[in-house]
Amino acid sequence: MSANEKKPTVRRQKIRKSHRKARLLFFLILTAALLLVVIFAQQICPYDPNIQDTGISLQPPSLEHPAGTDRFGRDMLSRIIVGLQTSILSTLALVAVITVVGTAAGILCGYYGGILDSIVMRISDVCLAFPGLVFALAIAALLGGGLSNAVIALAVISWPKYARIARSQTLAVKGMDYISAARLAGGSSWQIIFRHVLPNSVGPILVTSMLDIGTMLMELAGLSFLGLGAQPPTAELGNMMSGGRSMLQTYPWVILGPGIAIFIAVVIFNLLGDTIRDYLDPKNSQRK
Amino acid sequence: MSRWKKLSAMLLAVCLGTGALAGCGSGDSGKAETQETETGKKTFVFGDTTFNPENEEPNVNPHETYAGWACIRYGVGETLFRYSDTMEIEPWLAKSYENVDELTWKITLQDNVKFSSGRVMDGEAVKECLEHLIEVHERAKGDLMIDSITAEGQTVTIKTTEPKPALLNYLSDPYGCIIDMEAGITEDGIVAGTGPYIAESLVSGKELNLVKNEDYWDGDPGYDQITVCTITDGDTLTMALQSGEIDGAYGMPYASYPLFENEEYTISSCATSRAFFAHMNYESAVIQDPAVRKAIAMGIDKEGFVETLLDGNGYPAVGAFPENFAFGGDSVETESYDPEGAKKVLEEAGWKDTDGDGIREKDGQVLNIRWLTYPSRQELPLLAESVQATLKEIGMNVTINSTADHNSIRVDPTAWDVYASAMVTAPTGDPEYFFTTHCLDSSAVNNGHYHSDKLEQLETEMAKTFDTQRRNELAVEMQQTILDDNAFVFCSHLKMSMISKADVTGLTAHPCDFYEITADLAPAA
Amino acid sequence: MKKYILRRLLQLIPILLVITFLSFGMMRLAGSDAVLQKMENTGMVVSQEVLDSARAELGLDKPFLTQYFVWLGNLLRGDMGTSYISGQEVFGTFLSKLPATLLLTAVSILLTIVISIPLGVLAAVKQNRFTDYLIRTASFLGNSMPNFFVALLLMYFFSIRLKVFPVIASDMSLSSVALPSFTLAVAMSAKYLRQVRATVLDELSKEYVTGARSRGIKFSVTMTKSVLRASLVTILTLLTLSIGNLLGGTAIVESIFLWDGVGKLAVDAINMRDYPMIQAYVMWMAIIYVCVNLITDLSYRVLDPRIRLGGDKA
Repeated sequence: MSANEKKPTVRRQKIRKSHRKARLLFFLILTAALLLVVIFAQQICPYDPNIQDTGISLQPPSLEHPAGTDRFGRDMLSRIIVGLQTSILSTLALVAVITVVGTAAGILCGYYGGILDSIVMRISDVCLAFPGLVFALAIAALLGGGLSNAVIALAVISWPKYARIARSQTLAVKGMDYISAARLAGGSSWQIIFRHVLPNSVGPILVTSMLDIGTMLMELAGLSFLGLGAQPPTAELGNMMSGGRSMLQTYPWVILGPGIAIFIAVVIFNLLGDTIRDYLDPKNSQRK
Repeated sequence: MSRWKKLSAMLLAVCLGTGALAGCGSGDSGKAETQETETGKKTFVFGDTTFNPENEEPNVNPHETYAGWACIRYGVGETLFRYSDTMEIEPWLAKSYENVDELTWKITLQDNVKFSSGRVMDGEAVKECLEHLIEVHERAKGDLMIDSITAEGQTVTIKTTEPKPALLNYLSDPYGCIIDMEAGITEDGIVAGTGPYIAESLVSGKELNLVKNEDYWDGDPGYDQITVCTITDGDTLTMALQSGEIDGAYGMPYASYPLFENEEYTISSCATSRAFFAHMNYESAVIQDPAVRKAIAMGIDKEGFVETLLDGNGYPAVGAFPENFAFGGDSVETESYDPEGAKKVLEEAGWKDTDGDGIREKDGQVLNIRWLTYPSRQELPLLAESVQATLKEIGMNVTINSTADHNSIRVDPTAWDVYASAMVTAPTGDPEYFFTTHCLDSSAVNNGHYHSDKLEQLETEMAKTFDTQRRNELAVEMQQTILDDNAFVFCSHLKMSMISKADVTGLTAHPCDFYEITADLAPAA
Repeated sequence: MKKYILRRLLQLIPILLVITFLSFGMMRLAGSDAVLQKMENTGMVVSQEVLDSARAELGLDKPFLTQYFVWLGNLLRGDMGTSYISGQEVFGTFLSKLPATLLLTAVSILLTIVISIPLGVLAAVKQNRFTDYLIRTASFLGNSMPNFFVALLLMYFFSIRLKVFPVIASDMSLSSVALPSFTLAVAMSAKYLRQVRATVLDELSKEYVTGARSRGIKFSVTMTKSVLRASLVTILTLLTLSIGNLLGGTAIVESIFLWDGVGKLAVDAINMRDYPMIQAYVMWMAIIYVCVNLITDLSYRVLDPRIRLGGDKA
C-alpha cells in the first residue's frame, strides 16, 4: 500500500488489488519459464556442454556460439543453460531447507521462550560463530566432495539467520493485543502460531530467502574452491564465474555470461518474492 | 544527532591516525610510475606472490625453513656456488674448489667480498655460517651431512660423514646463503648477506624493504631502493602492475598475460623443474594393468593442455626434468598422444566396450579412473578436466576429485587411482632428489607404492657416483625406467615468468627460480 | 539489568569450550596438517624424518585429546601459543590485525547505513513507482554479483582508469579503505535496502499510520516519529548480524585488496591448518557473537518496551 495517498477510495483499492494479481501472475509465469529452462536444460542447449574442442577455445560470442566458448572450447551458452540447472536446483533446495528449519526454530523460540529458546539460540550461536570454512573442510573430509554435501555444509551454517529474524518478529508480535486476545479466546498455541505469528513473519522471511538465492549461488561456488562444490565437468554458474575470474579483462564473456544468468535468476526470484509478499500481507488484506 | 557527529568525528580521527602506518606499495596510486622520487632516488617496487609464511618464506633468514629463497631471490644473500642458465654448477662466492677425496671438499673463496655489516667474508665467516646452518636447519643437516669444517684464510675445508656427490648442489640451495653470524639474525629475521641489496626492514607476509649495497663486490646495483610487496591474489597483482603501483611482478595469472604482451612491458620466461605429473596407484586393481597405465600415458594431450589451457605458459614434459637440464627433455622417451594407439592397447588387453555406453569393461570391471588432485595450483584442475575429456575418447571414465583435502586422501591407496600433483623435481639441480623422494620404497611421497628392482639398483649406484657425467647418465636411465613402467606420467613443466615495465631492465627468469633481483636489475637507460 | 548482562556474558564460557573443542576436532577430521600444507605450497618434498621432527616440534604427534587439553591449559594460563606457520605469538599477531578489520567494518557499516536506509525508505514510500523499481533493480545487481567481481570492477574503474584510489590498500588511510569498504557496502546495501523497504512497508500498513493520517498528523511526522522508530528493531537485528560477520573479517575482499585484517589471517590459518591461530579466530568470533547479540537484545529493550514485558514473563 502506497502511503502517500491520503484517502484511498474503494475503487482505487480494487484496481490495486487487480494490479497485484496481474503482477503476481506475470512473475509466476516468468518463474515458470525459468523453471522450464531449468528442467529441460539438456534438451534446450545447442551443444553438448561437456564436449571439448581446444581448437576453438576462448572464442568471443558469434552466431555459432552466441555466448562464446570457454578455455576448453566448450560452448558457453550450453554450459550456462546446464549451469543454470545445477545452480538453481541446488540453491533452491538449500534455501528451502534453511528457510523452513530456521523459521520453525525461530518462531518456536520466540513464542515459548525459556529453556528451549536458550538452547536453540546457543546452538545457533555456535553455528554462527563457527567459521564456515572450518566446517566446510570437515564436511568435505567426512562426506566427500560434491554439490549435495556443499548444500549440507551451507545449510548448517546458514539456518540461524532465519531463526533470528523469525524470533525477533515473533517477539515483536507476542506482546500485541490481538495475540493476547486470541489466547484469552482459548486459541491453542499452534493455532496462534499458524494464524498470527507465522503470517507476521512471512514477509521479511520470504524477502530474505528470495534474496538469499543469489547469495547462496555464490556461496556454493565458493565452496567448489575447496573441492566441496560441483566437480568437473559439471557446469555450475558460480563456479564458472569464479573460474573465469582472472579473465575479466582479457576474455570477459567467460565471466559475464554466467554473471548475467545469475542476475536474471536473482531478479526473477526477488521480484516474485516481493509480489508474493505484497499479495499475502495479512494486514494489507485486512484493510480491504 | 550530535552523538552521530561525535561518532563520525572519532571515526575520522581513527582513520587519519592510522593513516600514518604507511606500508607496502606507494600509498597514492601511480606514484611508482616516476622512478625518481623527490629525493632523486631510483626506486623499484616488486610484486611477488610467494613472500609469505604460508610459503615458508616468513623473512630473509636462510637458516629458517625456506626463507633462504627470499634471501637469494631478492638479492640479499648469495651462495658459494650457483647455477648457470643450463643448470651447471659454477663458482659464485667461491672462486674454485677441489674434491680432495670422497669425503673432503676444499673451497677457495673470492677475495673482495664484504658482508653488508662491513665484515670481510673469509673462511672463518663461512665456517661460522655453515656450522650455524646445520645446527638449526633440519633439512640442510640431512642434505649436507657435514662432519667438520675447517677454515684457513680464504679457504674452507668441508668433510662429510659419507660420500656426498651432490654437495656443491646442496651448497647452492638457498639455505646455503652465506650470512654474517657475528652480525647475527634480528628478531624479524633480517640478516647481513653479501648481495647487491641490503634488507632494511620487513613485515612478514607483507613487504620487504631493500636498499642498495654501495660496497657490492660484483658490479653496481641499479636501484637505490627496492620494495618487495607480497600480493597473493593474482588479479590484484595484475591490476597493481597495470595501475603502475608496482614495476615488476612474479606469479601473474596466465589469463593476464595478453594484457602485458605489448611494448610497455617486458616478459622474461623460462622452464623450471616444477612439474605437473600423475602418480599411478599400484594398489589399484585397474591401474595394476600395464595396458591401462600405457593407455593413460597415450591418452593425455600434453601439447593441447599446454597450448590452449595454459595459453602456452608451460612446456609439455617428457620426463621429470625440463629441456634446459642436461639430463632433461628429450634425453628420455615416452608415449606420445595417440588416442587410436591407446584404444588398440586397451582392446588387445581385453578392455572392450560391451554395453555400448562408451566406457570399456573387462571381466565385469568398468574402466573407471578416480583422478585425485587439488585446486591450489591453477594448472591442476585444468589438467584434470582436459584429461577427463581425452581419456573419455578412448573409453575411460574419469571421475575427478579436486580437493584441498588431498593430503589425507592420497595416503589411503584405496581412495584413488591416479594422483596429479605439482612438485619441484630438481630443486638443487641434482636429479637424485626426485627419485629418492618419489619413486623408491623408502620415498616419502611414493604415493602409488611403485616398486622397481631396477630403479632401486640404479639408485644405489647413483648414491655413490661423483662424476657428473655418470650421474646424468644414471638420471636418464632412471627416468626411462619409470617411464617404461608408466608409473608416472609427466604432463608439463612450469614456465616461470617475470613481467616488468619497459623502463626496467635485467629482470630475467632463471630455470632454477632462485635468482630474481640481481645487480643487473636497473632502470632502462 | 546488570545481573542479566552478567548472566549472558557467563554463557560465553560454555560456548567457547564447545566451539574450541569442535573446531579442534573438525580441523583434525579435515585431515592434513601444517607440516604437509607447507610441503604442498613449496612443492618440495622433505624426508619422513624431517616431517616427523617438524610434527613433534609442534606437538602434532600427540593424541588429539592431549593436544586439546595442552592448548586449553596454556590458554587458562593466558598463553594462546605460537603460530605453526609464522612462529609468532598468536595473541600478538591477532591483535595486530584487529585495527584494520575494525576500521573496515566501521566504514563499511557506515556506508551501508548511508546507502540502504534512505534508499530503502524511499523505495517503500514510492512503492511500485518508477523510483521503487529503479532502486530495486540496482539492488538486484548488487546482490547477484560476487564480491570478487565487484572488487575487480571497482579496481578497474577507480584504480586503472581514473587512478583515484590505489589497488593495494597499503595503509589504513581513507583512500585505501575506500575501495574495500565500498565493495562490501555494495552487497550489504543491496540486501539491507530491501529489508528496510519491507520493514517500512509492513509498518506503513499498520493501523496507527492510517489513524494518524485520519487525525491529520503530517505524514513526515508519522514517518520519523513512529514508522522509522518501529522499523529500527528489525533493521538493527540485521545490521548487528552483519557487524558480526564483518568483524570476523571478509576474507575475499581483504585478500584482494591486501587489507591486512583478521579475515585474511583466518583463511590463511585454515588453509594452512594453523591450529592455534584458528582457535584464536574461533574464540574471537564467539566473543563477537555473544557481545553483539547481547547488545541487540539490550537495544530492543530500550527501543521497544513491549519486549521487556514479554522477556520478563519468560
